[in-house]
Amino acid sequence: MGRFEIGSYEMSMEKLNKKSLNRSPRIARFRAGWAIYRQNLLGKIGLTLLVIFALMALCSFIPPLIDPMYQPMTGVDPDIAKSTGPSLRHWLGTDFMGRDILSQLLAGARVAFMVGVSAAFMSIVIGTTIGMIAGYMGKFVDTLLMRLADMIMVMPTLLVVLILSALFGQLNIWIIVLIIALFRWPGVSRVIRAQTLSLKQRPFIEAAKVAGASHMRIIFRHIMPNVLPLAFLYMTFRVTSAIIIEAALAFLGFGDPSTVSWGMMLQWVWKTGHMFKAPYWLLPPGICISLITLSFYMLGRAMDEVLDPRLRKEAETG
Amino acid sequence: MELTRYIGRRLIQIAIIFFVILTVLFLLFRLAPGDPVSRMVDPDMTPEDAEFLISQLGLDQPLGMQYLYYLKNFFTGNFGESFHYGQPVIEIIWARLPNTILLFTTAIILAALVGIFLGKIASWHKGETTDTLMTLGALVTHTVFLPWLGLILIWVFAYKLDWFPITGMLSEEVWLDPGAGIFTKLIDVLHHMILPLATLFFIHFGSYLLIMRSSMLETLKEDYILTARAKGLQEKVIRNHHAAPNAALPVVTSVGLSLAFSINGGALTETIFTWPGIGRELVMAVSQNDYPLAQASFLLIAIVVLLSNLVVDTLYAYLDPRIRY
Repeated sequence: MGRFEIGSYEMSMEKLNKKSLNRSPRIARFRAGWAIYRQNLLGKIGLTLLVIFALMALCSFIPPLIDPMYQPMTGVDPDIAKSTGPSLRHWLGTDFMGRDILSQLLAGARVAFMVGVSAAFMSIVIGTTIGMIAGYMGKFVDTLLMRLADMIMVMPTLLVVLILSALFGQLNIWIIVLIIALFRWPGVSRVIRAQTLSLKQRPFIEAAKVAGASHMRIIFRHIMPNVLPLAFLYMTFRVTSAIIIEAALAFLGFGDPSTVSWGMMLQWVWKTGHMFKAPYWLLPPGICISLITLSFYMLGRAMDEVLDPRLRKEAETG
Repeated sequence: MELTRYIGRRLIQIAIIFFVILTVLFLLFRLAPGDPVSRMVDPDMTPEDAEFLISQLGLDQPLGMQYLYYLKNFFTGNFGESFHYGQPVIEIIWARLPNTILLFTTAIILAALVGIFLGKIASWHKGETTDTLMTLGALVTHTVFLPWLGLILIWVFAYKLDWFPITGMLSEEVWLDPGAGIFTKLIDVLHHMILPLATLFFIHFGSYLLIMRSSMLETLKEDYILTARAKGLQEKVIRNHHAAPNAALPVVTSVGLSLAFSINGGALTETIFTWPGIGRELVMAVSQNDYPLAQASFLLIAIVVLLSNLVVDTLYAYLDPRIRY
């Protein structure tokens, strides 16, 4: 019994199995998926961009080691007290306090990955669990959970975080991540639920039931492995939305003041009135946010093609 | 009438959802750290005024009674007084709501129409350069960071080229001029609206284009398209009259599903362009700790999202006679 039983994935697997018969099925499956992925132009662009951003995030650890002047938050250049254009010393110029923009940009990459991946991972865990339980249990539990999902789905996450920060004061970056995760699972759970409903009809679930497996065991041992590829696909789309929400929040001035995110850099440009005179400062953070969301989105679409072309429509509605 | 019954059922669902939101918001406002009274009553008020407002809002009552007062006040439109404006909150949000609806619905409808139109063309030229360029363009505009796009548009078109005003919705000299006709005023609003409209439009049309494109490609595989071809109909007729109307349905669904996300974008756009809408009011209220105004704006936005969802669902049921709920 194949564990990843999703449409075209299997078909293409058969094609490629001839080449890799002697390897373990897991690796063979991965190679099959990779072969389809590699043919996808968008997927290649997305992956390349992501590697570049990952390198940026890694590089963010280097400049502060050279000189404390390159600390993204506190590293004020003693010779400069205002925003200056690119120079040999500061490749992308400095901000209104004389801080190095390049090192802020690098640190921003780290924050974007941190926020995006952790919020997406949490919302996928919540969404998948709820989707599987709703789909498997059916009846009352299903109705209750799906109504809850509907309700959360109509809430504009950014404005929810705004209201919460009005009530509870400045929010810590991890609290923001948690709130984003708590409000971004319904889309995932809907799709996982639909997938679970069709899996429930398969003979192997029936077999597990007859063998006396508990509900928990069936859900987590028999259904979960089959919905995981789909959940993973959704994770890429959730990364995108988490990064956008955090950036927008920081842009409006409600971000965590102890982290340098790209959204916060944009807020500084905007609020200090530099947007008309400092293009070297206005352009980089905006381009970075846009490109990182674009690359995760492309990655998602390419993975989508690997997994199942029929699912494409639903995934795009964010 | 099935459609009316469907709308009725959805209205009840919406009422329940809204009631839950209302209750959660009440609890949050009471449970958050700090004094609930100072959150609803302006600290700068005279003691008599404050006393009056406290009794009106039921803040001197036990929590259960406070909740009933809260519900009663909500239904009578009494949201207290804004700290910042010193005016009843209800007046402020009523004044802002039409501006938001004007900007937001125009942008979404335009984006959906253009997205459907271009998506149709892209799918028709699948695999050609036109398709590749359109898909790439749609991906880029869909993922560009909205506030940044707004700032760039202001920088280029309002600052460098000076074609459009940088902020606001009206120019004072036009509206204070008694000689200015309604037409001049309309042009003035339109002039202010173009940049925020373009921002919202650019962010949205890409995703509609992509959905329309893939939905068109699915539809073209259907039997009735084959039938139309077999009848010898012109390609153009098949595309525009047989395939496109059905393929556009998922776009309608996605407008509904992404509405909450679009509202976020609306609030950001209003803030950047200082468009006097409800989203900007919420952002401002939060940064000025103007709790009554923030609460009311949030509730109003929730109502707008829920009702627009209903509109989208009804439209869907109306457009697709196969679907009856």
